[in-house]
Amino acid sequence: MIREVAWRVFAGEYNESTCVFSEGGERAPSYVVTPLGAKVNRLLVVGVITEVENIASEEEPMWRARLSDPTGTFYLSAGQYQPEAAQQLSKLKPPAFVAVMGKSRVHSPQEGTLYVSIRPEMVKEVSEELRDFWVLEASRSLRERINANKESNQMDPLTKEGLVALGYGDNLAEGIVLARQHYGAVDVERFSSMLIDSLRYLLPEYREAPEVKEEPVSEEKEEQETVVMELIESLDKDGKGASWEDILKGAKKAGLKKEDLEETANSLLDKGLVYEPVLGRMRKI
Amino acid sequence: MGVQKKLAELVPNEPSVSLLARIVSVNPKEIQVNGTPKKIFYGILGDETGTVPFTAWETENLRLEKGDTIRVENAYTKEFRGQVQINFGNRTAITPESSDAVPPYQPGPVTLKEAKVKDLREGLGGVSITVRILSIEEREVMVEGDKKLVYSGVMADETGKAQFSVWKDFGLKEGDVVKIEGGYVRMWRGIPQLNFDERAEVGITDEELPSVEDLKKSARIWIEDLIERGGAVDATVRGILVDVKEGSGLIHRCPECRRVLRKNTCRIHGEVEGQSDLRVKSVVDDGSGALTAVFGKELTEGLLGKSLEECETMAREAMTREVVRDELADMLIAQPVEVRGNVTKDEFGIMMIVDSADMLKIEVEKEAREMLDDLEDLR
Repeated sequence: MIREVAWRVFAGEYNESTCVFSEGGERAPSYVVTPLGAKVNRLLVVGVITEVENIASEEEPMWRARLSDPTGTFYLSAGQYQPEAAQQLSKLKPPAFVAVMGKSRVHSPQEGTLYVSIRPEMVKEVSEELRDFWVLEASRSLRERINANKESNQMDPLTKEGLVALGYGDNLAEGIVLARQHYGAVDVERFSSMLIDSLRYLLPEYREAPEVKEEPVSEEKEEQETVVMELIESLDKDGKGASWEDILKGAKKAGLKKEDLEETANSLLDKGLVYEPVLGRMRKI
Repeated sequence: MGVQKKLAELVPNEPSVSLLARIVSVNPKEIQVNGTPKKIFYGILGDETGTVPFTAWETENLRLEKGDTIRVENAYTKEFRGQVQINFGNRTAITPESSDAVPPYQPGPVTLKEAKVKDLREGLGGVSITVRILSIEEREVMVEGDKKLVYSGVMADETGKAQFSVWKDFGLKEGDVVKIEGGYVRMWRGIPQLNFDERAEVGITDEELPSVEDLKKSARIWIEDLIERGGAVDATVRGILVDVKEGSGLIHRCPECRRVLRKNTCRIHGEVEGQSDLRVKSVVDDGSGALTAVFGKELTEGLLGKSLEECETMAREAMTREVVRDELADMLIAQPVEVRGNVTKDEFGIMMIVDSADMLKIEVEKEAREMLDDLEDLR
């Protein structure tokens, strides 16, 4: 049995998957097929861990974690059957740059809904450089799928052999055929925008001041950002983040309107200066 | 019982065919089926029209010897890497025949297939290829009691390198650009190798190929392509090292056979006084596929910045050899690497014996900018 490849796929693509595939048979591997046809049994992702939590007991822990990339958030969970990964997760202090290799998992709380997550096999704290390297690899991989989908949109009938003849690998060709059967024609443009945004993320002129090009940041805005940052920091007493209610109260006192606060908070989130450990709470990175 | 066919007439996915053929080669092989080991045979069948690879899946009471002539009924065919392959399943009947039942191979009008080095696959015949000889050496081997000279070495074109072996002195020298017509591909130590003999047309040509120096450089290959090719000579792979497997770090080997000991016991020689060694058995994944990359003692010492003796001291102090593996795992896992070496394939996947390794430095910003420029040009 050939070892399953570890796909480099962005959260924005992976999380939209609603297709599961297996050759059948007890030992046959199962795959999550993304809208662009990545046939994922294993994946390697690198991003910022923003939350780690043991949702079970000390004795039989089940660790949940969130890992952000430029396009979204991966959900991880590791329990007693992944002792090494679980132990590594438990030691992490978010926020941190982390590489995770794991198996694709799905769960379906009710019929018609399907959530994908990752069951980690390997967890390791890494450098920001590795995260950037991964974003580049994931971009390259996404570009290949976008190109293959563009060509496959023009193929009638769409066959695996046809895609292989165009030079695409067996794995991807099979995935694209499966994806087409499940999702129908895919809106490639949306993923092209995701690709461009991800590549821009690697370039300093876009990363440091994404707003600069569209509208110059006024001094007023900068001041508001400083105020809100300080608020978030001072209200975060237990390390779980400041609650939105408290921030709102504090902002009122400081003379900030609700709309201004919302705009400022969004800008801070975009710049990656704060994050939401859980919905309704904000914390400084 | 099925249609009687000549080998050259076979097409993929025939549910039932009958054949009269000679066993050109046969090898036993152990595979895992649902976790239990199973013995199969694989090899090559030949008749007057050509050769085709075969696999025998039911080997109990089955005796196949090289040179035997056999009648096969109810075999089936599949396609494997673009070629027909014959399978003997549980409905297949095999009976011996007298050796003159199959006429010798008559290379009628051979249809030659133009190929590049990257196209060379096990079982391929009638290969026409233009390559530069990078190295060649003469060896004496005993064939059925006779001394024979065999010339072997490495050849290359712009798509990669391959081993070759010739059973005739064509006067080939290092640096020659030659056109070989009528070669065939066999596996040699897990790597596809081009063989040719006096039946082949071999001549120096003035076709342009890069210089020896340029061809000696190793080209980066995606792991997916290495899996498909079934091994390669001197390939370079770039990827992320994702696992340092058990049996890495400080190990003990059998003094007789160099096998790695488990609990001071050799699988063949029993309990022995082990000899210390260092190695890394890792998994490198480049996003297209994964391979096992094995680093030997010198490379492992270089990575650790420690000698074998220092590692032994370290293990003694920690009272476990695992400290060495832990240190390697800590250092290597999630590291982007570039590894170079020969790649072989077996049923567990593909493996590289690493000749040289580097931590990979990528100019992320530059590459991202290039990709972005290309995309924006398209818009």
